[in-house]
Amino acid sequence: MRELRIAAVADIHLGEDLRGHYRKKIEGIERRADVLLVGGDLTRHGTIPEAQVVAEELSGLPIPVVAVLGNHDYHSDRNEEIIDLLRDAGITVLDDEGAVVPIDGVRLGVAGGKGFGGGFAGKCASEFGEPETKAFVRHTKEIAERWRRALKELDADHKIVLSHYSPVKDTLMGEPPEIYPFLGSYMLAEAADAEGADLFIHGHAHAGTEKGVTPGGIRVRNVALPVIKHAYTVYCLNGDHC
Amino acid sequence: METPHYVAARVQRALAEDERTTELGIRVDVRGEEVYLRGQVSCDERRHQIENVAREAAPGLRVHNELTLVEVREPGEEEHL
Ligand SMILES: [Fe+2]
Ligand SMILES: [Fe+2]
Repeated sequence: MRELRIAAVADIHLGEDLRGHYRKKIEGIERRADVLLVGGDLTRHGTIPEAQVVAEELSGLPIPVVAVLGNHDYHSDRNEEIIDLLRDAGITVLDDEGAVVPIDGVRLGVAGGKGFGGGFAGKCASEFGEPETKAFVRHTKEIAERWRRALKELDADHKIVLSHYSPVKDTLMGEPPEIYPFLGSYMLAEAADAEGADLFIHGHAHAGTEKGVTPGGIRVRNVALPVIKHAYTVYCLNGDHC
Repeated sequence: METPHYVAARVQRALAEDERTTELGIRVDVRGEEVYLRGQVSCDERRHQIENVAREAAPGLRVHNELTLVEVREPGEEEHL
């Protein structure tokens, strides 16, 4: 089986002031990668004009593009329309679901969505007390459950989880520990570990670090633009040789 | 004089909630009459907007704009997993 070259980035936070800038940086991406994964926070305010810039920058590439939304893309309550708009532009948008991207006969399965917070084992919120607290934790729990199902149902040679929020603390290093519960949840890692995946891509933690691993041993990469400082990073998933 | 702690909290909230900025990742430190802004932004215009919003939220204080521009480079070396 041939190796797969996965380009990944998150937190591009595009707006009309950045129109054309990102596109310039990803010209020729097909020579370096087979697919581009975008881990949310595509916009700054989640408005339709911003989403149109995102569609322009990411559409019409010679390789498939798979994206999820981030918290910023929800800010104006236009998330559903943004998803439709991006899908119309040919981008595969995952909203707590999976998709198989065929690459030269190799089936790459990607599952995920925005994800959410809650914190990490031993220091996390629990579904207890006020309805607001319970709703917060339940939101993550439901998301993790949908991802687990999506991963299970994926019929693919390689599986990747694409998220905005982080599944582990490792990749948050650099962020103030007080805000960890707003940056991710161990439940996202638990879902991935339960069904297995080759890689877990996320963003959101702009001040975090790139590399981590889930308790079950899945490699985690935080590809937030301010972290990777490149237009995207390429991860090669092993084929017969690499 | 207002407690620096609350000034910092107010500036940080303004940066997150003001439509001109919506920046969640800016560190705000207040020491006496000085406000320090640290973090990374993607263009000069956004850097100035953050400074403006911070000034409005902390009238009378001196704002030090220590934000750095993230220069998005061409992709580097790939990682083999
Ligand atoms: Fe972001
Ligand atoms: Fe985010």
